Amino acid sequence: DLKVVIMGAASVGKTTIIHRYIEKRFQETISTIGASFSLKQWGPYNIALWDTAGEERFSGLSSFYCRGAGAAILAYDLTSDDSFHALRARFKGLLEAAEDDCLVVVVGTKLDMVTEENRAVPPQDAKALARELNTQQLTELPYFETSSLSGHNVDRLFEYIFQHCLPVNESGQAIAEPKNRKRSGTVDL
Amino acid sequence: MSIKAFELVPAIERFQLMSERALTKIVCIESCGKNIYIGTDDCFVVHYLMEEQTNQQTGKMTFTSQKIGHKYLGVKKPVLELKSASALNRLMILCDSTLSMMNMMDLEPVVGGAKIRAVTSFCVNAQPLNNSPFSVEICVALKRKSLQVYLITEDRIQLMKDISTSSPPISMALTGEHLCFATSDLYSIINIQTSQTQELFTFDESLKPTVTNISRGEFLLSAPSALGMFAMANGMSQRPPLRWSDNLLSVAYYHPYVLALNDEFVTIHSVLDQQQKQSLPFKGGCHLGHFDGRLFVASGRDVYALVPVPVQKQLQNLLSLQRVHEALDLARSALKTGALPTAAFQRIQLQVGFIEFAAQNFEEARQLFLSASLDVRELISLYPNMLPPTCPFTRQIPPLHDMADIVQVAQKDHSKICIFQEFLLEYLKEIDASSKNIPHKQEVHSALLKLYAELNPAALPAFIQSDRLCHSPDCIEHLKKHGCHHAIALLHCVHGDNTHALKIWTQIVDGELQDDSFPGFNFIVDFITKLKNETVVWENIDWLLEQDESMAVQVLISNQSSKSADKFHVDGLLERLSGYPIAMKSYLEFLVLEKELPVERFHTHLSVLYLDDVLQLMNSPTPNAAQIESARKKLQHLLQMSNLYRVQLILGKVKQTELYTECAILYAKLEEHDKALRLLVHKVKDYKTAEMYCLVNSSADDLALRGRLFHLLLSLYLDSNHERHESLVGPAIDLLNRNRHYFNTAKVLEMIPDNWSVGLLSHFLTSSIRQHLHQSRTVHLHRMLSRTHHLQLKSDNIRLDSAYITLKDDVLCSVCGRDFTDPSFARYPNGVIAHISCITSKHVCPVTGKLFGTAPTSSPSNQHSPSGDSR
Repeated sequence: DLKVVIMGAASVGKTTIIHRYIEKRFQETISTIGASFSLKQWGPYNIALWDTAGEERFSGLSSFYCRGAGAAILAYDLTSDDSFHALRARFKGLLEAAEDDCLVVVVGTKLDMVTEENRAVPPQDAKALARELNTQQLTELPYFETSSLSGHNVDRLFEYIFQHCLPVNESGQAIAEPKNRKRSGTVDL
Repeated sequence: MSIKAFELVPAIERFQLMSERALTKIVCIESCGKNIYIGTDDCFVVHYLMEEQTNQQTGKMTFTSQKIGHKYLGVKKPVLELKSASALNRLMILCDSTLSMMNMMDLEPVVGGAKIRAVTSFCVNAQPLNNSPFSVEICVALKRKSLQVYLITEDRIQLMKDISTSSPPISMALTGEHLCFATSDLYSIINIQTSQTQELFTFDESLKPTVTNISRGEFLLSAPSALGMFAMANGMSQRPPLRWSDNLLSVAYYHPYVLALNDEFVTIHSVLDQQQKQSLPFKGGCHLGHFDGRLFVASGRDVYALVPVPVQKQLQNLLSLQRVHEALDLARSALKTGALPTAAFQRIQLQVGFIEFAAQNFEEARQLFLSASLDVRELISLYPNMLPPTCPFTRQIPPLHDMADIVQVAQKDHSKICIFQEFLLEYLKEIDASSKNIPHKQEVHSALLKLYAELNPAALPAFIQSDRLCHSPDCIEHLKKHGCHHAIALLHCVHGDNTHALKIWTQIVDGELQDDSFPGFNFIVDFITKLKNETVVWENIDWLLEQDESMAVQVLISNQSSKSADKFHVDGLLERLSGYPIAMKSYLEFLVLEKELPVERFHTHLSVLYLDDVLQLMNSPTPNAAQIESARKKLQHLLQMSNLYRVQLILGKVKQTELYTECAILYAKLEEHDKALRLLVHKVKDYKTAEMYCLVNSSADDLALRGRLFHLLLSLYLDSNHERHESLVGPAIDLLNRNRHYFNTAKVLEMIPDNWSVGLLSHFLTSSIRQHLHQSRTVHLHRMLSRTHHLQLKSDNIRLDSAYITLKDDVLCSVCGRDFTDPSFARYPNGVIAHISCITSKHVCPVTGKLFGTAPTSSPSNQHSPSGDSR
């Protein structure tokens, strides 16, 4: 089973992207306090999706929720330079709490709002960050530009992560033993 | 969003130690069994005994308390914490930074009891590692940056573990080997056995850290921004944080709720969905605790019990507020802990199911109904007229829902009612398909039948024919109301009442009943055909004949072909068919052509019918050549094929018409070939047919007859009396050329008129001569071969006859074994020798029984008849 945590500066659209993936629709959300949590079935596995709060006052907690994560999504707003720099400044350090071979995916959000003029972060910068944060060999560079409004790339993003960490075949059967399978966030209610 | 999970009930009111000293305030409380201990700000420990009573009528709980005693510790400092160890009969007291023990009953200090000094806080291990019931494990926080774990017995305090920390510990909780503690800016978890430390998270110093034990290995920590963070012993979190209020004073856990006390409220949160469930105003609270299943909260002057509202009541409250998800979560958790029996849980599921149902959330409803194995009748009963009136079902009491029926729920909106009905249909289909022996099969099936009738009549036939239990007057009534007459008939039919079924079908065909789903007349035909029931056929044959004669006949035929039709039966049938010429004809065709019944009447009758057909066609104002041709072919075929009809009768009729071909066939039957051929040649002028006639009417074996017929035909061609005999020369020559081997050339030459040129006949003559020559040579060859054969035989015979046999004295008769005294004896070709008197047959060997020939003349040459031979 797998723990996936999504991190990034405030209002870059972390909750919305998870909501888009789970509920398959777009919804405006209020600011997340602390953290929230969703469970997703992936073939025979349970995936715990942890949505963290982006506000700076919760940074300490985010590192706590990052602990044991097998994959982390670092989200930034494609139209906001600050949100991208925050990834390096605030969130990169938090990844130390995650598993050693944690897959780090850099995700630009709000693609639907991006125009030629207002794109704040050149894709090559983001790709460079993605390359820098992952030590393991990857077939595809873990960088996605998404839109929760249209759903563009959202499913692809999550399926990329799951397939990388917990490979399953077409019919949802597990393929061999995933090489970096983690003990993590199953919830015992 | 709020529900009532707990009630505040006063336990000790207007706490007063001594009436004149009204300033005394409660700092902490401890409860153990019926004992309540109160620690005050002026260094007193007070002991109360408390009785709880439950009012039988209202179910309310009340407490009465009685003060037993008190003890002044004599240092004028507040009593900060109290913990009891009932097995040891000890009360642990933290006062003036000193942890000491006293007797639980008389509050006297333990004699010689050790004390721990410089303690800021302590806690008891909820799941001690030491199994002895007469010991308690505690953890104390010391002023000097360390934590110590002690094992406490009745009179001893034994240090087990000393853990140093980076800064002085403030709050902690210990469960099993996991110790979670807070310093002024950091939460950590340490394993007291391995000393492995795991830092959780940091916070700023404005926060008052609290650590509450939730379950083994799980802690609840207060975090910045009024959050309650869950942390597992492995340093991870399994639940999102709670949001509670600022200025938290005290936290307690009572599954599945977290109770948090601040200076104005007790707030109650569920760990299941992390939402706040209830908020109780409570001013001036100072301590909230969970003591062995009971919750007490103290303000400065009073102690209240927090009495949990029974799960059932909470659930009903949630349900009445339609908060179904919370109700289900709560019920599931209560089921797990055993607070809710399975039956009650299923009932909750059903209640939720009906709420979802009413809200048209059918998928949720379906899953709940299935998982709680709903009595389907409960659901069916919501639909008017769906349960059979004979069904003794009454809804559960207390009711699972407050709906009267779906009409009321749908507010008589027809489209909504349809949606509900479709749900029921799908649900029942699923139930029905799930297993063969479902409960209340009859109710399910009759409801399905009714639903199909209303929603999808096209699916009814398949449903009915798959053997369902829905043959009740009530169902039939329902079907009738929806015009599904065909379905009713099928229902009758499935239950063996074919007469009734056919009656309905015939009514539909006759237009007395309307049902679009009925496949049509052919359906009845197929049905009766398949039924193979003679009575049914007889009952319905008249109606069938009226509808469609040829179909009706097919029914008769198929019904008959299975068994041999007896004559009486056939006669009766034909009588009935008399009014229906087409049917009659078809049936006779069947009898004559297919079954080949050798009955003269049928053959004659059919011939007459065919003849009538032909005549009718010929006499029609617009004759259709093709039709006439085919009708005549049929007639001719019958006349030719059958030998049973009354030729004279037919001939009498045919003679008056121009049907010469038929006439010729009839003459042929009478062997009046002359007349027949004359007709063919002169009237029909079809010379090929005439030639065929000669071949058909004589068998290939009877060449004499065939020759005679051909000669007859030739003589007709050559009849010089006929006025157009000139035109017949061509056919005559053709005839001769084609069939010369049937003609006797000599006779032909006699008949040929003298004026014919040899050229005309040359072909015939040449081939005739050739044929005769061939014959003559063949015969010659044959004769010579026969002669050779004869000579061969003769030679063999002579050779055999000329052999001799010597008969000596020692040769005895093979039959009697005696000597030969007579000169004559018999010898067989196999060498057996016997007396003439001993043999019975010349051709059978008397010893081996071998047969040597049946007659002396036909004996092969190498077999020799026995003959006498002298010595």
